[in-house]
Amino acid sequence: MLEIEIDGAKVSADPGEMLIAVTDRAGIRVPRFCYHKHLSIAANCRMCLVDIEGSPKPKPACSTPIAEGMKIWTHNDKTKISQKAVMEFLLINHPLDCPICDQGGECELQDVAMDYGADISRFTEGKRIVEDKDIGALIQTDMTRCIHCTRCVRFGDEIAGVMEMGATGRGENLKIEPFLAYGIDSELSGNMIDICPVGALTSKPFRYELRSWQMQSVAGVSRHDLVGSNLLSQTYKGKVKRIVARENSDINETWIADRERFSYQGLSHENRLLMPQIKIEGKWQEVTWNVALDFALKGLNNAVLNNKQTDRLGALATNTATLEEFYLLQKILRGVGTQNIDYRLNIKDLDATINLPSNIKLTDLETLDYGLIIGANLRLEQPLINHRLRKAVLSGAMVDVVNVAEFDFNYQPNNHNIIAPNQIALLLAGVLKVVLESTQAEVLPDLQNLNPNATAKQLAARLLRADNAVIVLGEHLLNIPQVAIIAALITQIAQHTDSKTLNTSLSANSKAADLAGFTPGRDGLDANTMLTAQLKAYILLDIYPQYDFYNSPKAIEAFNNADTFIIALNSFKDEVVLEYADILLPIANFYESPGSHVNIEGLVQSFPAAVSAPGEAKPAWKVFKVLADLLQLPGFDYTANQQITSEATMHQNPKLSKVDVSKVDVSIDLTMKKGIDIIWQKSPYAIDVLLRHSPALQMTKIGQINTASMNAATAKKLKLTQTDDYLGVPVVLSETVADDCVFINANRQTWDRGQ
Amino acid sequence: MGKKFKKLIKNFSLSELRAGLGITAKELVNKKITVQFPEERTPISPRFRGLHALRRYPNGEERCIACKLCEAVCPANAITIESEMREDGTRRTTQYDIDLFKCIFCGFCEESCPVDAIVETQIFDYAFIDSREGSIINKARLLEVGDKNEDMINKTKLEDAKYK
Repeated sequence: MLEIEIDGAKVSADPGEMLIAVTDRAGIRVPRFCYHKHLSIAANCRMCLVDIEGSPKPKPACSTPIAEGMKIWTHNDKTKISQKAVMEFLLINHPLDCPICDQGGECELQDVAMDYGADISRFTEGKRIVEDKDIGALIQTDMTRCIHCTRCVRFGDEIAGVMEMGATGRGENLKIEPFLAYGIDSELSGNMIDICPVGALTSKPFRYELRSWQMQSVAGVSRHDLVGSNLLSQTYKGKVKRIVARENSDINETWIADRERFSYQGLSHENRLLMPQIKIEGKWQEVTWNVALDFALKGLNNAVLNNKQTDRLGALATNTATLEEFYLLQKILRGVGTQNIDYRLNIKDLDATINLPSNIKLTDLETLDYGLIIGANLRLEQPLINHRLRKAVLSGAMVDVVNVAEFDFNYQPNNHNIIAPNQIALLLAGVLKVVLESTQAEVLPDLQNLNPNATAKQLAARLLRADNAVIVLGEHLLNIPQVAIIAALITQIAQHTDSKTLNTSLSANSKAADLAGFTPGRDGLDANTMLTAQLKAYILLDIYPQYDFYNSPKAIEAFNNADTFIIALNSFKDEVVLEYADILLPIANFYESPGSHVNIEGLVQSFPAAVSAPGEAKPAWKVFKVLADLLQLPGFDYTANQQITSEATMHQNPKLSKVDVSKVDVSIDLTMKKGIDIIWQKSPYAIDVLLRHSPALQMTKIGQINTASMNAATAKKLKLTQTDDYLGVPVVLSETVADDCVFINANRQTWDRGQ
Repeated sequence: MGKKFKKLIKNFSLSELRAGLGITAKELVNKKITVQFPEERTPISPRFRGLHALRRYPNGEERCIACKLCEAVCPANAITIESEMREDGTRRTTQYDIDLFKCIFCGFCEESCPVDAIVETQIFDYAFIDSREGSIINKARLLEVGDKNEDMINKTKLEDAKYK
């Protein structure tokens, strides 16, 4: 601890800290443009000059480390003269177009110019004009406004991991522009809008809509992934108009992924469902909520309740629902006496559902020294988890990858092992054997005859050597036959090497579903068995079967069964839903309903509603509450969402899965049969209905991926060529895909994955 | 005693009445100052703040760029603006309403306008007898006021400019 003096007041600080960090903590405002606490120090704007005793010239606070007994003045005459001089230089080429600039009102340059700017410009020469480039659907550029702070350049280099923006030229000719012709495609690119201190980079979908002072900010939490990024939804006249990041150093620091930032566009899509509708003799009629709920009650009574067939009722929900919605829906179902409840819609073998725990905190990911990623393209699946891992790699950690195809990483993995999906279990068994042998533990009988290959030996050695290791299991292997064994092997390897595990295979708010007990109990049917059990009635929460199910045609067929009564709660209109549903109830989507997200650490984050739902749409938890009252179920006397939250989090949830992964028999069939596995990676911008309706995201490069890739050998086995359309998805032959693997990376789930 | 006597003389000599009639007689021959409104009008200061108008550039392009500063500064919250990006990429209003019931004619909107688009003209004898809604004046009508009175606006603003 050092003690320094700032403006006459004593302040204590840690050795090695930069001056600006100390003044920020002490609440003393030092103007700055290029400094950002999560980026490296550039010290190129010179705005943060402060007067230090003993120094002939003022020094930049952002790059001056503190020393014992330093005396600093941040607002004396010497400082002000230099800051005003810097400001005058910065304003030489900055256009005076604040009235039409979207940054106007929240612009750092504008604010600082109010304090340090001169009234009159002495610059009579011609101003510099920089040509704009179209850098994609998300970011609008006005590069004439740029003051060359290089925050965006450093962000690309240090945070996004792709140096998409760069500075070319020198002096007057210095330009900030994308290096490559295609623009900005990173999954975190939207953060450049937040960090740009001027109006050079602004949000394209938000362009010219509103001024910053017109909107109200409501704190929110994203439900698109397992992180639960904190954000602010900015609203105007009951509509969400913009999303910006909210700082939370334990969760998302100051960053949010693009899908969090731009998904709000879907909320005002014309396809929103606005009125309750009921189907009478095949014709849809718009009705009031009272009529609709009576119709729902009558339907449920006729179908299952009156004839005591409650086990023929089932409930399925999307994984982006809130904790409270999951909890109330399962409480209704359990209340009427059935356990047919599930949210895991796109998994082939639910008995083997991975119950691999996640037992590492997000912040601890940064201090790892070894990471093993299995079956994941983390950058697209969980951008902010990937960002933490990247930070670990930058500070010296080693990461190995076992994947079914080669992906773009924004850091350099040590070994990129591309392995056929049907061989991954074998590899991990090899790793386990080496680990068991070297820890002198008993080697399981099934592993005795196994001969670990070089890769397995290498991975085991690294896991054993590491002090803080994590094994990450992603979503790619979810639907291969050996998934339960893989999860069991990972558990055992982690146990014997003292490693942590991180399971990102089920995304969005699925941790909340687990917490709320939204899984079939011992006697209940799961999502797949429900579809074959010819149920008499379903309650479906925001489900669009052509996108959500593992076997979509089978699901649509099951729902279309003539004597099945279906209550569909949807936020968007959908042809397929209109076909099978008997009653459609409009519900709220993101930011329109209070609720809670449970993140990968198990942290419950509650958020209020920012706006009310359009038309007659209501938050689903209110619909469930009224439905429960109509069904005369006890224990639904809720008046506020928070009551449900506290009940759901206190509630002892039933066993999450029928399979306890630590007890799975890791019997390895060494002559595993070599079928071709289809590995599905949904586009990150199509994982839920809100994202699918967000036009700007769909126009990005990530949003338009639509391929089935495989190597030539697999294509030969399948008798496919480059020109084929593999069930609606164009085929790409690529040797970066493992053997016996078809890697589908598609935006629209138009094909039958059951084939 | 003396006071009472003086008052008596004053009352009976009708001196106050004669003084009054004297003024009347003087005004009978003086020049008249009343005007026959609306046929005749009194002169108005160029600084007078009357009905609002939206102006155009000489090439016909509307001046307003939807910066919403007038909306922000308006102490009576009388101005409502919605904006969008027009097809040519410029920032424009889609809605510009002034609620004349709320407006207090303070002139802040004119002061704040960076492009001299919204101005207060010398027109004060507007009356919207057709309907109460007429007092909420929209973008088309504001532009119309501006188009009709551009010469007057130009002249008064020029006269006032030297004092700003």
